[in-house]
Amino acid sequence: MLTTIVRKEFTETMRDGRVRTAAIALLLLLGGSLLYGARQTRLLAAERDTARQLTRAHWVTQPPKGPHSAAHYGIYAFKPRATLATLDDGVDPYVGVTTWLEAHKQNEFQFRPAQDATSAQRFGALTAATTLQLLVPLLIVLLGFSAFAGEREQGTLRQVLSLGVKPTTLGTGKALGIAAGLGVVLVPATVLGVVAMTGLDRTTTDMSRVALLIVCYLAYYIAWLGLTLTISAFAKTGRVALAGSLGVWMLVSVLAPRFMTDVVRTMHPTPSAAVFAAAMKRDMDGGIDGHGGADEREKQFEQAVLQKYNVDLLSQLPVSFAGLSLEEGERHGNEVYDTHFAALWATFAKQERVRELAAVFSPVLAMRSLSMALAGTDVAQHLHFQQASEAYRRTLMSAMNGEITTKAKGKDFEYKADGALWSSVAPFTYEAPSVSWVVQRHVPALLLLGVWALGMMMMVVWSIRRMTP
Amino acid sequence: MLQATGLSKSFGAHVALQPLTLTVSPGEVFCLLGANGAGKTTTINLFLDFEPRSGGSATVNGLDVAQHSLETKRLLAYIPEQVNLYRNLTGLENLTYFQQLSGQAPMGREQLLQLCDRVGLPKGAADKRVSDYSKGMRQKVGIAIAIARQARALLLDEPTSGLDPQASNEFSAVLNDLREQGVAILMATHDLFRAKETGTRIGIMKHGAMVDEFAAADIGHTDLEQLYLRHMRN
Repeated sequence: MLTTIVRKEFTETMRDGRVRTAAIALLLLLGGSLLYGARQTRLLAAERDTARQLTRAHWVTQPPKGPHSAAHYGIYAFKPRATLATLDDGVDPYVGVTTWLEAHKQNEFQFRPAQDATSAQRFGALTAATTLQLLVPLLIVLLGFSAFAGEREQGTLRQVLSLGVKPTTLGTGKALGIAAGLGVVLVPATVLGVVAMTGLDRTTTDMSRVALLIVCYLAYYIAWLGLTLTISAFAKTGRVALAGSLGVWMLVSVLAPRFMTDVVRTMHPTPSAAVFAAAMKRDMDGGIDGHGGADEREKQFEQAVLQKYNVDLLSQLPVSFAGLSLEEGERHGNEVYDTHFAALWATFAKQERVRELAAVFSPVLAMRSLSMALAGTDVAQHLHFQQASEAYRRTLMSAMNGEITTKAKGKDFEYKADGALWSSVAPFTYEAPSVSWVVQRHVPALLLLGVWALGMMMMVVWSIRRMTP
Repeated sequence: MLQATGLSKSFGAHVALQPLTLTVSPGEVFCLLGANGAGKTTTINLFLDFEPRSGGSATVNGLDVAQHSLETKRLLAYIPEQVNLYRNLTGLENLTYFQQLSGQAPMGREQLLQLCDRVGLPKGAADKRVSDYSKGMRQKVGIAIAIARQARALLLDEPTSGLDPQASNEFSAVLNDLREQGVAILMATHDLFRAKETGTRIGIMKHGAMVDEFAAADIGHTDLEQLYLRHMRN
């Protein structure tokens, strides 16, 4: 009986010209965004690879010079583009993917694609994620709004129920029939996605991320299907069901994310870039919270060094004080940066937590968060890369300062190092965090998406058991 | 086969059906006559358990419809005033769908086409989409569904409303066939002529109550009309 219902629903769906048109349009959009995303990934990966090799070549081929000059010359670190970023750019266009690692400074990320965007892109770029998160639910609404309400309006529901068909069997059959219709769009899109991503660097993407992303989208679509069928089971007519479903879609897909952005900003405000930079400069010059200015710190450091080496004068030191002083400057700078960035990142984490908890009101928020996370383009993974690049910067600076300390006694800044030093610093490599690292940071979104899927399934069963013809 | 005992229905203060007692035995066609709002459709809805009853009981083959909702529905076939079918499916596909949903062993295409022929569906129409069907053709598919389901009781709600005389006549012929096969038929109708032609018993309903009940053979066409009008005027 179930097969009969599924087959009939699928046949009817496929014969509906409106659904066919919408499905073809969606397939074209999804296919286009996947192919474009894959092309971008391939292009950006190649560009970054070239730039990475070039910046390394520039570093190791520096002429003999002072290690501190080399530290200021610096080096660029490039965030590798994850293969799944083809689906979801996440925050990458806004936070940038390249940072310049130099002495004394933890620089901001540069080359943000959003800076180069045309004004038309203020309306939002069409990515596979946008299509999957916003437009596929619209197709589900289109496929499912009349499932019960339309049949009730036409009178066929009355006839079907008069046959002694269990309402839950009818509901399951309809849900599977609609899912089969949806499969006509999603299966070719998945095949296209796999083909489009063939040849991309798979080392950046753990396959378990792909598997989990598929599971999340399945749960997300189950939630939408449940929501649509529940509304259809209660609505008197197809028109009411369509208006109700579209209203909910508008509320949870368009309004809720924007509203939550404002709520999050109000609850956990972040300082402007100018205020943030000014606060760091203040602590850098005057010490954290005004404790210990530069002169005072310098004096204390000198005393500590003299005591450590058991000498009375800096000229009696067996090493270069300039190197030690530079390293101390780095240490102080790192302390200031760590304090300020830790506070900023804690605020980002709080914002993310509120955004994920708001998924109680909208499955879109949970799916959006999980999509970015599994694609490797969320804030947490941006910070992960930032921390890795900063750790490398510190290693680089320590190597340069250590060279001065140990080899520049009596020459200080006149000392010149050669290619042996530049080559001794290993190139920057970055490994994206594991899927378990990602999951640990998005437990609320995962749970809430599961609750939405399960809750909506239960709602459908509850509503169709109470359904009247 | 079909039995109502003190069956009643109220919507708030409005009494749609006063306690009704009737029996439709196998091979009997019980016609319910009455104006709109007399309680005919409510009676049928209560046998289908589409609405909760307010009092009494309705049974099909001895099973209470409220307690055995799915089982009793499987013994029934229902043809409404407008047989509503899936417009994007052909007549044959609709017939196949409803036949298979009723839990019967699936019938083959040839068997189903023979059924379409038996109920008078024009040749070639079975493979056309229902969106191109006239009301009469849809009613015929409705009867074909009822026959295909091999139901032991038929509930008909104004089945000939809007049909042309020839289609009505063909419809009556099929009902007679079914009656002769022992099917119990409860038919709500406005059509006095069809009630007299097809029915074995006739009940007249007014304001939710059965005001008269008699054997169809005991009354002539003219007498039925006068009796009906007298009840409606009172």
